[in-house]
Amino acid sequence: MAEPKTKYDRQLRIWGEQGQAALEKASICLLNCGPTGSETLKNLVLGGVGSITIVDGSKVEFGDLGNNFMVDDSSLGHSKAKCVCSFLQELNDAVKAKFIEESPEALIDTNPSFFSQFTLVVATQLVEDSMVKLDRICRQENVMLIFARSYGLTGLVRISVKEHTVIESKPDHFLDDLRLNNPWPELRGFAEAIDLNVQDPVAHKHIPYVVILVKMVDEWKTSHGGTLPSTREEKREFKELLKSRMAAMDEENYKEAIDASFKVFAPQGISSDLQQILNDSCADIGTGSSDFWVMVAALKEFIANEGGGEVPLEGSIPDMTSSTEHYVNLQRIYQAKSEADYLVIEERVRNILKKIGRDPHSIPKATIKSFCKNARKLKVCRYCPIEDEYNNPSLAELQKYLTDEDYSIAVGFYILLRAVDRYAANFNHFPGQFDGGLDEDISRLKTTALSLLNDLGCTGLTLTEDLINEMCRFGAAELHAVASVIGGIASQEVIKLITKQFVPMSGTFVFNAIDHKSQLLTLY
Amino acid sequence: MASEEQLSAIKRAKVLMVGAGGIGCELLKTLALSGFQDIHIIDMDTIEVSNLNRQFLFRQYHVGQSKAKVARDAVLRFKPNISITPYHANVKESRFNVDFFKEFDVVLNGLDNLDARRHVNRLCLAADVPLVESGTTGFLGQVTVHLKGKTECYECQPKPAPKTYPVCTITSTPSKFVHCIVWAKDLLFAKLFGDKNQENDLNVRSSDTGNPSEHSEDLFECRKDEDIEQYGRRVYDHVFGHNIEVALSNEETWKNRNKPRPIYCKDVLHLKMTKENGDTEKDCATGDVSAMSSLSLKNPQDVWSLAENSRVFLEALRLFFSKRGKEIGNLTFDKDDQLAVEFVTAAANIRASSFGIPLHSLFEAKGIAGNIVHAVATTNAIIGGLIVIEAIKVLKKDNNSYRMTYCLEHPSRKLLLMPVEPYEPNKSCYVCSETPLSLEVNTRHSKLRDFVEKIVKGKLGMNFPVIMQGASILYEVGEDLEDDMVAIYAANLEKALSELPSPVTSGTVLTVEDLQQEFSCSVNIKHREEFEEEKEPDGMVLSGWVEAPADKDNNKPNGNGESTSNALPSEEIQEDEKDVEIQETSEGTENVTGKKRKLSEVDESRNQKKPEKLDIDDEDDELVISDDWESLTKKKRV
Repeated sequence: MAEPKTKYDRQLRIWGEQGQAALEKASICLLNCGPTGSETLKNLVLGGVGSITIVDGSKVEFGDLGNNFMVDDSSLGHSKAKCVCSFLQELNDAVKAKFIEESPEALIDTNPSFFSQFTLVVATQLVEDSMVKLDRICRQENVMLIFARSYGLTGLVRISVKEHTVIESKPDHFLDDLRLNNPWPELRGFAEAIDLNVQDPVAHKHIPYVVILVKMVDEWKTSHGGTLPSTREEKREFKELLKSRMAAMDEENYKEAIDASFKVFAPQGISSDLQQILNDSCADIGTGSSDFWVMVAALKEFIANEGGGEVPLEGSIPDMTSSTEHYVNLQRIYQAKSEADYLVIEERVRNILKKIGRDPHSIPKATIKSFCKNARKLKVCRYCPIEDEYNNPSLAELQKYLTDEDYSIAVGFYILLRAVDRYAANFNHFPGQFDGGLDEDISRLKTTALSLLNDLGCTGLTLTEDLINEMCRFGAAELHAVASVIGGIASQEVIKLITKQFVPMSGTFVFNAIDHKSQLLTLY
Repeated sequence: MASEEQLSAIKRAKVLMVGAGGIGCELLKTLALSGFQDIHIIDMDTIEVSNLNRQFLFRQYHVGQSKAKVARDAVLRFKPNISITPYHANVKESRFNVDFFKEFDVVLNGLDNLDARRHVNRLCLAADVPLVESGTTGFLGQVTVHLKGKTECYECQPKPAPKTYPVCTITSTPSKFVHCIVWAKDLLFAKLFGDKNQENDLNVRSSDTGNPSEHSEDLFECRKDEDIEQYGRRVYDHVFGHNIEVALSNEETWKNRNKPRPIYCKDVLHLKMTKENGDTEKDCATGDVSAMSSLSLKNPQDVWSLAENSRVFLEALRLFFSKRGKEIGNLTFDKDDQLAVEFVTAAANIRASSFGIPLHSLFEAKGIAGNIVHAVATTNAIIGGLIVIEAIKVLKKDNNSYRMTYCLEHPSRKLLLMPVEPYEPNKSCYVCSETPLSLEVNTRHSKLRDFVEKIVKGKLGMNFPVIMQGASILYEVGEDLEDDMVAIYAANLEKALSELPSPVTSGTVLTVEDLQQEFSCSVNIKHREEFEEEKEPDGMVLSGWVEAPADKDNNKPNGNGESTSNALPSEEIQEDEKDVEIQETSEGTENVTGKKRKLSEVDESRNQKKPEKLDIDDEDDELVISDDWESLTKKKRV
């Protein structure tokens, strides 16, 4: 069968059809197609992004053959953008690939509106001055931007987007939404109809733990003045109480109840992270509000009214020891409540849309449904402009990083990556780029780095000699293994941004290939 | 910028890559561009369409060709002056013995299954060659370095075995969709299309009563007087109708369970409708035979109705017999075999309907049946780069800077890559230190065959075992054995342990050796009378053997890549709650679902998360994530 999606099967299992559709709609611009840029784009082309545009003004030179897989002998002297473009096109004919033989720096200076046509720009190997300009342009045009750079055994990746909101954040671990200590009437009713003291041992060991816990919480509350177990001692007692009700030591459902008893101790209501989103000024809706914030406003109303302080129920239950009948019924009860909550939110979303003069049906049901299911996991990421970070980084953070052993190498490379750009602006080459004169380069880089630190207000702090020497030894080389790692990370973040799934990284990621201790630095 | 010394070490190095899949493609490219000049690649696989989203050395027109060879050609096009030697072969073949491994300076794994990883680990230990091991699943990945005597070996840490289900759950009382899949794939598919001589529990009765189905052989053979349509309907009625009736006759089984509903063809499909299946001649290319296309079902993400599943079942069966008749008798389930996936999906869904279990789409069923691990180019690129960086350190003998690196999906403590210093060898590892194992077994009932299959091959991962009691050989596998010895060993296999020529009883110490892996271990035998069928289905218990606790059965197909994990949000973790259990669920693969682990040492930094050791697969088989938090926390983090 010629199923067109077969080649994407393995990744559809990560981000689903919707994520894939978003990728296929995306239009990506790559600036500079050295190994870092080519590798980043390769991963995106394989994944099936809609279109790519490669901007690079250089010709393929002999040195490129050694570190870029996408050019070969026959490419020598030809446009690098063209060669990389044709290689990438070969990887996936579903992708529209084109190239522009022009220097990115020139394009940034002369034709800023060029960038407005893209979903996202991947800017690789740019120096500071161009980064700042491009960032301004992309913010103006609402185009997502990601910087990636490989430099010897270090490199960085930095996302720059005004605001990125995520519904499907897909956290690793999340407490399931069972409402054991706050059951709604139907769940309570279901639990009440089941007798924990049933004589039949088979029936006894097939009572789902959800029911056991709902009932035992009630029993506990009755004998403890209506409060839940809160102290360590009480929690232990609660577990003992559960244990005492086991009819036999091998009752899996009771063991599960004991294991899951922490779910009972979980506080009711919403998390502080979610509260922060609800309090965000964007949750005050206006005509320009995005769908996300419209739904947040509806959620806020729901929590204050029908929800009684809780978000819409997620509706799924984990697997548990149970008779099939009980399990299926429980599933039904959770699903029904979740559906009812969703309908309320939907109604509220429609009303809000009407109020701000938008088509009340402009947000699809599926989106609202997904929003409800993920209400506890919403994320809002904001990234400060590069210019602000470079001119006025948080001094406190910077000092903390510089003096913290865990971060000192990463922040050292971060400073040095900026210092080499200043250096290059002064001396027309990168430190260590040419044979000979290494000692002079080292002392110049040191001076440059110190003056940068000084400008940032970090007087008295310095970088280790080793690190500065190391940086000079890199000689601005773009090593393939490092480019592969940086390209992998950059493309992964691009996918998170475009699919709006998972949480993209905050801050600047600094890679350190020496011991892989690679930190995210938040400097604003 | 690399030093001269480093460059010449790279140039001189002879490296062996095992696996030319997702990681392998990245790795080979990065090796070539980092100056390596003598690279050998072993991979037994051929290229599939589903590889193309990440295995960038391959194109559509390469589908069906050897991965190792195509990868070599693709890289040589760009780097014509280096030497790449491909082997389209299984790394377990005897020619890849210890002497072969000794030729290399470092071995780099990009494998997709536990079995091959263990095999390579042993050969590297025996040959004393450093191993850089790797794996990815989705956005997660890891690279680890293993040096004999200096770091732990690949098998020093527990490796969870693939999930197994009790036979009676599969044959009689399924309660989850995965049980139906296992039934459809391992029993029904195997029975109809696989090796007829294999033992098969398809007709095992629902409990101790019922019919022992001695005439089952006839039932699944197509009779001379029936056409393929009739045969299909007969099989359908037998497995979904008759067998359920038989099961229902045992009242005891259903006392606390919902009774299944027998389903017969005539109730679901009208005769006319099945006849409409006839327009299949339109696609005759044998490779592309598909019941979905002949029935015009397009979207693999749709959940089919019972009637649609029934039509797919009959059509797939018909297509197997009419278009792929030659393969019948030799087929094993393959997740990349479209028709096989269609058949298994349909059969599992019909069975699920019978038992009141929710139905699933082909896409979901395929994920479960194939233990499919999601995979994406980005992670492989990161891991490929990290492997080369580690390999260069190994060549420089830069022992102190080796790192095990974990690539995380969500940054934790400001880290996206988490490096950990390699651990010391585990002193009680039965592979790299000589710690004896012990086996509890009923020596009067268990046969030598059970010991060989379940323990020596199943758990110890040996291919060419020799089993000795003192100086006498009880069993041996090899290519150049005398005929009379072969006969003796074959006879021994069928004998109970205590009845062997040199009887194996409580207190006996067996030596088990694999000549190819040059690996041997001792097993202390302890007699035990009874075993619990549910918990100890092997009828024997091996201890001292590191295996993570069995997975908790947790079937929750979550649709596409929806990773639902239930655990404490960080705010929940309080200092006095150190024994909280965290359940993790990952989708798609049953093996990985619902593992429990102790969250030890939850310290004041609430967000702290230790890396999970991912024994992952670059690709598709047995995804196994062993949640090895405890050992990680005890060791120094970098």
